[in-house]
Amino acid sequence: MDTSPIDSWEGVGAYFTFADQPGVVAFLCGLAVVTFVGFMYALIKHENDAFDKHEG
Amino acid sequence: MTPEELEAFKAAFEMHQAMNVEVFYWWCTAIMFMIHAGFLAYEIGASRVKNALASGMKNILTLAVVVPTFYFFGWWIYNAFPGGLIPIDASGALPWAASMGPDVSDMGTGIFWAAFAMFGATTGSILSGAVIERIRMSAYLILTIVVGSGVWILAGAWGWHPDGWLLLDLGYHDVGASGVVHAIAGFFALGVLINLGPRLGKFVDGKAMAIVPHNLPMALIGLMMIIVGFFGFLGGCIIFNGGETGWTTIYGNPTNLSAFAFNTLMGFAGGVIGAYLSSREPFMTMSGGLAGIITVAAGLDLYYPGLTFFLAVVGGISMPIVGKFVEKCGIDDAVGAVAVHGWCGFLGVVLVGVFASGYPSVPEGAPDITFFGQLLGAVVMCVTGFVPGYGISLLLKKMNMLRVPAKAEAAGLDLVEIPAIPYPERVPSRDIIEGTVPADAAGLPANGVLGS
Repeated sequence: MDTSPIDSWEGVGAYFTFADQPGVVAFLCGLAVVTFVGFMYALIKHENDAFDKHEG
Repeated sequence: MTPEELEAFKAAFEMHQAMNVEVFYWWCTAIMFMIHAGFLAYEIGASRVKNALASGMKNILTLAVVVPTFYFFGWWIYNAFPGGLIPIDASGALPWAASMGPDVSDMGTGIFWAAFAMFGATTGSILSGAVIERIRMSAYLILTIVVGSGVWILAGAWGWHPDGWLLLDLGYHDVGASGVVHAIAGFFALGVLINLGPRLGKFVDGKAMAIVPHNLPMALIGLMMIIVGFFGFLGGCIIFNGGETGWTTIYGNPTNLSAFAFNTLMGFAGGVIGAYLSSREPFMTMSGGLAGIITVAAGLDLYYPGLTFFLAVVGGISMPIVGKFVEKCGIDDAVGAVAVHGWCGFLGVVLVGVFASGYPSVPEGAPDITFFGQLLGAVVMCVTGFVPGYGISLLLKKMNMLRVPAKAEAAGLDLVEIPAIPYPERVPSRDIIEGTVPADAAGLPANGVLGS
């Protein structure tokens, strides 16, 4: 996968993966947010399951 | 030397200067991790054995939730809200901006973002200690995101930004974050504690019982590690400028690390001595080191070290007294966070108004430091911390999401939700709880509660 926004290192500014594709960057940012929310969901589920199990 | 050679030397010098700036904040951030290592040890030690790992897990996850959320919106809040509650254009601080990733032309944003994210995680850890042994992990993490990536950095935009309204309108001076970090986090914790309620067994017939740490030596070592981390924290509060400017505070006035060194160490010593005088107790005495530094942090660049020492002694003496008062009010602050961070943070900001009035502000039109400006600024910090802490924890309480079930709390959170055992080769809390080993045989009270 060609993710490079640059062809050479001369006069480079932002050079992170997909820096020249704002839509992809926004998508990846959204993906990170969704992943984080998924973590919080998993944590809450684990917690509720643990308490339910302990309550019997 | 030819003009071309001179230009080349100048370019090389400027590049090295920019690299030095990065190096300085890189290591400040690394040292700030020691704060979190310290909180980890301190809160594990301060918990009863049945909650040791659950308390530690909270600390580990604190960093893991504040860092990404500070990336998603925290840094933007700092840049967008210096004027109050109406945002200005700060599109360069949004997470998809060019400067929010590897960028050869930007040698500042990443390291400042990282240092500020660590400040945010510190506010979460301050809350963490206060609420141990009965808060739901999920509720704690939600509250940590709010304070660590939202509330403190909003206060930072107001009182710790070159265009912050507290600076421009009041001459607010809080160089070491007594207000924007410590008062905010301490009063946020107070708001949460009111809704959370005390641990089971903390108050019997209205009388406060001592719930003792299961590992006081570990708690003391953790506190000392926090002090080590403070050198990164306070280093991150000073601005390493390029060009001919040299060191300045975040408000633009000249200072240097020597000033910080004098007053950080004198603040630590004074706080320890003060807390010893009023408590004689090792946990409080060691906490006094934090209390002393926090009490003098707002004026760290201005005070004469002898004055610093005296003020830190006052902070150290008053901290356990305030802690006792909080307890008398029926609030179970397990580690004294409200007293150490809330009270001493408030006191620190006000003391600048008492002892450093008249120092000029750098921004054009900004007033000098005044008692009124500092007092109002301190009140703003306390209210800005308390209101969201109280409001959001109340909402979580109404949704039955704030506190663990009583049965789980009595059994211990390690047993209920942590798939690991802290001390498998000593008499474990599990056996005491399940009744296979009598508590007295283990030499421990069954629930760790001793009469005070």
